[in-house]
Amino acid sequence: MANRGSHKPNGSSPMCQFKLVLLGESAVGKSSLVLRFVKGQFHEFQESTIGAAFLTQTVVLDDTTLKFEIWDTAGQERYHSLAPMYYRGSQAAVVVYDITNQDTFARAKTWVRELEKQGSPNIVIALAGNKADMANKRMVEYEDAQAYAEEKSLLFMETSAKTAMNVNDIFLAIAKRLPRNDDSGNRQRTQGQHLEDKDRREVKEGGCCSK
Amino acid sequence: MMSALNSNDLQHKSEIDPYGFKHGDDFDYATYDEFMSQYLGVLARRASKWNQLLDGISRLKKSRKVKRYVRKGIPNELRGQVWMCVSKADKLMEENPGLYQRLLSEPLDPDAQSEIDTDLHRTFPENIYFGNDSPNGKRSSLRNVLTAFAQHNPDIGYCQGMNYVVAMMLIVVKDEEKSFFLFEQLTKRILVGYYSRDLKGLKVDQEVLGELVRLKEPAVSTHMEKEQVPWSIPTTKWFVCLYLDVLPIETTLRVWDCLFYEGSKIIFRVALSLVLQNAEAILNSASFPQIVEAFKHFASPQKHIDCHNFMQKVFQDSQPLKMATITKLREEFNKKI
Repeated sequence: MANRGSHKPNGSSPMCQFKLVLLGESAVGKSSLVLRFVKGQFHEFQESTIGAAFLTQTVVLDDTTLKFEIWDTAGQERYHSLAPMYYRGSQAAVVVYDITNQDTFARAKTWVRELEKQGSPNIVIALAGNKADMANKRMVEYEDAQAYAEEKSLLFMETSAKTAMNVNDIFLAIAKRLPRNDDSGNRQRTQGQHLEDKDRREVKEGGCCSK
Repeated sequence: MMSALNSNDLQHKSEIDPYGFKHGDDFDYATYDEFMSQYLGVLARRASKWNQLLDGISRLKKSRKVKRYVRKGIPNELRGQVWMCVSKADKLMEENPGLYQRLLSEPLDPDAQSEIDTDLHRTFPENIYFGNDSPNGKRSSLRNVLTAFAQHNPDIGYCQGMNYVVAMMLIVVKDEEKSFFLFEQLTKRILVGYYSRDLKGLKVDQEVLGELVRLKEPAVSTHMEKEQVPWSIPTTKWFVCLYLDVLPIETTLRVWDCLFYEGSKIIFRVALSLVLQNAEAILNSASFPQIVEAFKHFASPQKHIDCHNFMQKVFQDSQPLKMATITKLREEFNKKI
């Protein structure tokens, strides 16, 4: 991954903040993807999210410091009516499904449609086929999801929060596609170094796909 | 040698709290130990008062004295029994013999069952009673209570968040059927509409809270509006999980003591107190994400370990709060939502 975010100390690089939301059916692994990306951790049984959880992660990409403000939402249908609160104003969305469950892919498609209609006009949408480590139970073909993603111009990767496969990559791919020189008011100059080195190290650890 | 063994033993034990939860890496043992050293005395005093109160009576009747006792905390060994009594869940159970068993003998709608089953392994995985499928575990009881409830209330079914509340009831009440009736009382009489498909009761109460904050601390209310943070963002988990994983367990249970005795008002009292005590932190947060972080920081199971002091402050901060005010606001927002 030649274009993966670099981690060199960087005191005065331009800084962009992005609001990103995770959507998808219950138990597809939204919280697990975030936990892997932000803390480099994985829990086999991740507690179900109530309401939504807010986390941040900072990465450096091509000398620009990017701060993701991540909303990890509850998946159950009855919490659906709360979702607009979280995706409204989001520059990016990760719509997650579980490759071992066809229903969750159908649900992902309805999320994409809703975002197209009601999300920000230039929202960057990524489709994540999670639980790729369980390919022996696969119910959603890679090619089908890829064809759908192409048709809708979505970023697409199969991911595994468990093995860390493609987790950082999908967030970084989003970051690369986000407009960074716009005048949306999200761009800020950092004053001196106020990013913690700890955050960077965590990204690096989480970036290993070989576990 | 002996003392070293003892201290190791003690340390090993204290990694798990009396409710079966493993303390996280960030658990503040120093603060906890300091608090417990004086709270144990309080607990002993309360236990003896409660034993006197219950001595020779067949049924606890509501009174100013009992209300005061409940506010000061129900001793853990009496907690399940007192909850059942003051919520009248025990009466409901008496009036409906065989209901629970009958509900479990019928198959549940497969979609509802699958929603429940999806969350069973994701409910308190760090708790010794729920972390595995062992025979002395409570995971199958959790499945049964949620299933019976969904069967009995097809219009509500299963709502995420119920899993935590029922699991905590099972830990305290230690009986499936009793927990089922206690949860019935909670959803039918105490927190109506919180878990419904449209979450209307929840949404109404979040608006009510916003209005109560406006009345008590208008600056906070204005600031939240200016930064466009709806109250449902920080408070959905507070209300749905009834402060589980928002406050420490012991503190949460002290809130529940009042919930079963006094009803939903305590939910607002706690929320108000949290907001009022942290008004400065909220006002000093200059943006949406900063406000959210501020809430995350002060409404955390790592804070408010001193449940006794916390509950005293809750009642001080939220006084006076009339049920009539809440009822009137609920009616207003019910029309708007």
